[in-house]
Amino acid sequence: MGRGASTNSIPEIEDCRFLLVIGSNTTEAHPVLALRMKKAVRKGAMLVVCDPRKIWLTKIAKRHLQLRPGSDVWLINAMMHVIFAEGLQDDAYIAEHTEGVEMVREIVSRYTPEAAEAVTGVPAEDIRATAREYASERHAAIFYTLGITEHACAVDNIWSLSNLVLATGHLGYESTGLNALRGQNNVQGLNDSGANPAYYPGYQAAEDPEVLRKFSEAWGGVELTETPGYRLDQILSGLYDGRVKALYLVGENPGHTEPNAKHAAEGFEQLEFLVAQDLFLNELTEKYADVVFPASSFAEKDGTFTNTERRINRVRAGVPCPGEARVDRDIVVSFARALGADWPEYPDAESVWNEFADLSPNWNGVRYDRLQETGLQWPCVDRDDPGTRFLHAPRPARPNGRGKLWPVEYQPPIELPDAEYPLTLSTGRTLYHYNSATMTMREAGITDKQEDPFFEISVEDASALGLSEGDWARLVSRRGDLEARARISDRVYPGLVWMALHFAQAKVNWLTHDVGDPLIGTPEYKVSAVRVERASR
Amino acid sequence: MVEFTLDGARVSAPEGELLVHAAARHGTFIPTLCHDEKLDPYGGCRMCLVDLEGAPRPVPACAQRVREGMVVSTNGETGALRRTLTEMLLAEHLSPNPGGRPNELTDLAEELGAQAPFLLPDAAREPYEDRNRLMGYDPGACILCNRCVRYTQEVMQCSALVFEGRGAEARVVPTHGHSWLDTECELCGGCLSVCPTGAIHEQFLGGSPAGHERALRKTKTTCTFCGVGCQIDLNVDPETKRIVKVTSDPSYVSNEGNLCVKGRFAFNFVHHPDRLTRPLVRGDDGKLHPASWDEALSLAAAGMNGVKERHGAQSIGLLASARLTNEENYLLQKLARGVIGTNSIHSCEAT
Repeated sequence: MGRGASTNSIPEIEDCRFLLVIGSNTTEAHPVLALRMKKAVRKGAMLVVCDPRKIWLTKIAKRHLQLRPGSDVWLINAMMHVIFAEGLQDDAYIAEHTEGVEMVREIVSRYTPEAAEAVTGVPAEDIRATAREYASERHAAIFYTLGITEHACAVDNIWSLSNLVLATGHLGYESTGLNALRGQNNVQGLNDSGANPAYYPGYQAAEDPEVLRKFSEAWGGVELTETPGYRLDQILSGLYDGRVKALYLVGENPGHTEPNAKHAAEGFEQLEFLVAQDLFLNELTEKYADVVFPASSFAEKDGTFTNTERRINRVRAGVPCPGEARVDRDIVVSFARALGADWPEYPDAESVWNEFADLSPNWNGVRYDRLQETGLQWPCVDRDDPGTRFLHAPRPARPNGRGKLWPVEYQPPIELPDAEYPLTLSTGRTLYHYNSATMTMREAGITDKQEDPFFEISVEDASALGLSEGDWARLVSRRGDLEARARISDRVYPGLVWMALHFAQAKVNWLTHDVGDPLIGTPEYKVSAVRVERASR
Repeated sequence: MVEFTLDGARVSAPEGELLVHAAARHGTFIPTLCHDEKLDPYGGCRMCLVDLEGAPRPVPACAQRVREGMVVSTNGETGALRRTLTEMLLAEHLSPNPGGRPNELTDLAEELGAQAPFLLPDAAREPYEDRNRLMGYDPGACILCNRCVRYTQEVMQCSALVFEGRGAEARVVPTHGHSWLDTECELCGGCLSVCPTGAIHEQFLGGSPAGHERALRKTKTTCTFCGVGCQIDLNVDPETKRIVKVTSDPSYVSNEGNLCVKGRFAFNFVHHPDRLTRPLVRGDDGKLHPASWDEALSLAAAGMNGVKERHGAQSIGLLASARLTNEENYLLQKLARGVIGTNSIHSCEAT
């Protein structure tokens, strides 16, 4: 559709009349946003949850479509099939605001709900009912998270959702749209501000000579390379094949969070030079860093984070940095100077923001004096622009004003269960911890609730293995193994096990594989094949 | 819009608005204890009773919606009832300040000049101990307004807390008498955020700031965990310069004052002894040793420039982070492109 962001705003959620939550365990990953969904349901909205697990939201959902991990394209294409077969599409919107519908219509004609049931495990009648309800409700919104994107077919999944939205015209007004819930505090802003090999700040293409000329001029005439940069997965594989010799690692823990994590960590052995900047040492930096800069937490610095609804919010320092630790802004500026750069004085965060906003048209109107109370949502092009609550109004934000439908075919996950590794492993987060949990495992009051590594397994699989609740078991994949406690429940179906990524002593990414999406490289954290064995302890 | 009479004046309000809110917009503040805008109208504490012409008895302004032509009086005899009601609550209210939180009841008592006439002999309710280390509950401060239980039911939609017992023995407990850790409770602390008297309150692992509540300095900022961007207030002890607790406010747009367990309670990592406090450089012995900033910066620069000379700028990669601010990520990509000379800047949040 032309923008990498949620289309609508958090406060609008409570006025949705139909919510399709797919691949998002919202109450655990975005608990406060989930309160709006709960409120919407309390106000009479219909909620349909598509998830391999019986997550909390299924309790208040009208329907749970318990699809097999990685079968999303089948499910969505089958919904499209129903919509076109029954004439529920929005013909006026399609004609006026989209392109490419014919190819999509042709492809989905082969995705019948009955055939979808065989692949996804979701009853055909449930697919039909959901398609009808979604298509016929004006204020219908879709919410997705990493259950959609952490697949080798990530881009296909997003295309199929986007097709669904465009074909039904659910775009460009309140309480509707396609909403990617951003997992981390500033993952939206990280991309907005250009920490991406393909884009300069404000999504300005790194291969566009006009963009390079503009930034070169703004940055004191420095020469800017046209050589394409490496993506994360290419940087990590570059450690092995020698393309990458030095790394500046800021606030990241790839030895924990990357797929096939042991392999990723061992790559650091090959580095000639590693500079790290973080709050804590981790196994990787302790072993391989040549220099470590002590950095600042959010509570110690000024600046902005951009949330999942594109709202730029102020971050304000409440406490000083401990010891000689410094705010990251100062560290980066000092490092640039040490590297020989002639950078301007950046006396405060605002001076950096202004440089960014001056260079980025959709942020041009966002200035600190306007962010005091409620923040502003981009796009916000000048000082009179109140910001944008929902995108793609009155038409999709592509240059020709038409949303593009793109036919997608189902691709099975890379690694399917077999005789040796008979179970599907999917991964995610829990409410009580955050990513590699270097912060939350240091909170005694929270680890009281959840400390030991655990995995979810069905009653059927557990009893076949002779496992009881809380027993330690070993999970084994082609990449590695780990031990965790069994949590037996009907949250997962027979054949599926699930584990969170938070546990340092049992990193689930020792098990995951690292074949990602061919276009954007996102790893398939959500589907690996494993077997479970009883552990001796 | 409807028009009605408030203490003799003609005023207007949107149809269906609660009287207590409509009155407040016209400058008439009717005290409440059990009312919370997040929750459904309840009318439990009777502190907001007003006289409504034609009604057989006084009505609670927090549960009464405005109607065309209604005639409301807030300053008649009923108003005097408030002082009596306050005194009745005070007579059962043994712990005015548990956990150092503000107390709406004692504030109201002060405003009305109400004092406990005596303490009821059976006012002491059975204390409640819980093995969770985040929240505590002091039945002696509880006025049974039900805000906490209603929050769990209406906002969280879980059954974490219930009323137990009747009359003087009534108190709030985790469902089925389990620990907070063993119920559906998600430890979000929403119950304590709506508690008017601080009966449910934070427990302070780093020592209690009781009595210093009003001296804490608040800094409004954005939570560091997920992408919702909840607006929070860091409550900092100005003497120790440590975060004592995190609160929020119903006026904050994205989260309406709600928080989750991480946002409210996971701030101690900021002050954790494991924090790096000095630059480190790897010595000849292969170990990391403390160094000065000058030393660390020049070593880092020499190392990076050395790799650049030997293998070219394209051999250097940068991994930025969603933990960082927009400004810091902007500077990092500027450093990658404008100083080192590579577009290879990405992050572990490629999804």
